[in-house]
Amino acid sequence: MALHIETELGKLKNIIIKIGDLAENQVAEAVKVLLSEPVTEGKEVKKTENKIDKLDVKIDEICQSIFALHQPVASDLRFIMSAMQISNEIERIGDLAISIIKKSKNIKDKHDLIVKFSIADIAKQVESITIKTNECFLTRNESTIGEIFILNNRIKNECDEAIHNIINEMKSNSKTVVSGTNLVIVLKHLERISEHCTNIAEYVYFMINAKIIKHEKFGSTKFED
Amino acid sequence: MQKIESKGINFYYGETQALHNVSLSMKENSVTALIGPSGCGKSTYLRLLNRMNDLIDNTKMTGSILIDGQDIYEKNTNVDDLRKNVGMVFQKPNPFPKSIFENVAYGLKVNGITDKKTIEERVITSIEQVALWGEVKDKLKKSAFELSGGQQQRLCIARALAIQPSILLMDEPTSALDPISTSKIEELIYELKKQYTIVIVTHNMQQAGRVSDTTAFFYMGELIEYDKTKTIFTKPSQKQTEDYITGRFG
Ligand SMILES: Nc1ncnc2c1ncn2[C@@H]1O[C@H](COP(=O)(O)OP(=O)(O)OP(=O)(O)O)[C@@H](O)[C@H]1O
Ligand SMILES: [Mg+2]
Repeated sequence: MALHIETELGKLKNIIIKIGDLAENQVAEAVKVLLSEPVTEGKEVKKTENKIDKLDVKIDEICQSIFALHQPVASDLRFIMSAMQISNEIERIGDLAISIIKKSKNIKDKHDLIVKFSIADIAKQVESITIKTNECFLTRNESTIGEIFILNNRIKNECDEAIHNIINEMKSNSKTVVSGTNLVIVLKHLERISEHCTNIAEYVYFMINAKIIKHEKFGSTKFED
Repeated sequence: MQKIESKGINFYYGETQALHNVSLSMKENSVTALIGPSGCGKSTYLRLLNRMNDLIDNTKMTGSILIDGQDIYEKNTNVDDLRKNVGMVFQKPNPFPKSIFENVAYGLKVNGITDKKTIEERVITSIEQVALWGEVKDKLKKSAFELSGGQQQRLCIARALAIQPSILLMDEPTSALDPISTSKIEELIYELKKQYTIVIVTHNMQQAGRVSDTTAFFYMGELIEYDKTKTIFTKPSQKQTEDYITGRFG
């Protein structure tokens, strides 16, 4: 007979997988909207956002009742602590994706700018880091965690560089200021999605190893590119 | 130096071996919780610390137990002095059929203290120590059986404290108590730790977490893991410990 707590933990795991998939879809949608010229209709996105919010609340409820009724310890405790944090991170990823979609609609001559500053490449990498993040929660694979850290570093560097170039462009050509600013905001959002993914990877690492690596410079140590 | 140091303990009830090569040390003024499934040898180990197992026929021990550096199983050990130094509280409150006052005074008289004033002082201090004074000060002459279970248990602890031990052994001291009495005993353990070294057997994992500094997990007569309580309950190193504390045993 399965322990009651195991049923609850299984439920929790499934919901996180579900909410992770939804956020992954949102990011994919955001990247699509950002990169494609005619802007798609945002109805589906809004619906998904509501689903994510509901699941996020549901996760908190389940965690609360597990704490109150089962007093989890050791790996159970780490799993629940991580689940709560991970669902927060996922919820933010969803929000950032929505912001990207909204901002993308207000960038004039978007296509030219995207080509000029190699934004497509960054956006695709952000899409891929969200996929990897869901995978790492599911498989608890340490090498995937390493890949996420490395990818995050790369995204961060490329965002910095693109932002630097956009600012220079704005300095020399004042007509690009509005679009340029919006694009900088989008880049910052992409960078933050990647950060949230990295945080999730850190929680998965904590779940497996009981070690907290938050705030440690992992990109420059263990998981060197 | 460790307050209690046991090395390579094997213990037998007749042919049955109840403890296998158990080595376990405890620091002064610490609380150690002994946990593990029923029959794993917790009580057996606890009783070795004040030679209570001597009272059971046909038992045998090998290995050594040092308290304050002294081997308590050495031939010239005075067992009465040992038991004075190592007090014990049991699962069920077991007051004597005497008055509240007499229950606490009993141990003193047995130990040859006759001065009335000394006895009175010690009785009051001990009852105060277990935070029972407010509840019993007006009925010291009444029978101890008129107290509630939780009050009786605190009275028994007061009785153990009156003879001024330095070590207190507790075998599931709250298993018969309601949550309020339990939390009073737990608070008491926390207070007593300043002056005593405490070893407590408990089946309540949360209690072990709340009251102890170190936790020892026993299984089938073996000490499987012994570590800081925080470590045991967050990241035990043995799978058996993890399975036991998360309730997935067997
Ligand atoms: N007086 C005795 N005579 C013979 N065997 C005994 C005696 N006391 C205990 N045992 C045996 O020794 C083993 C350990 O018993 P012990 O009482 O130390 O377990 P425990 O961990 O305290 O269990 P519980 O949690 O049920 O109190 C058991 O197998 C038990 O049957
Ligand atoms: Mg026992």
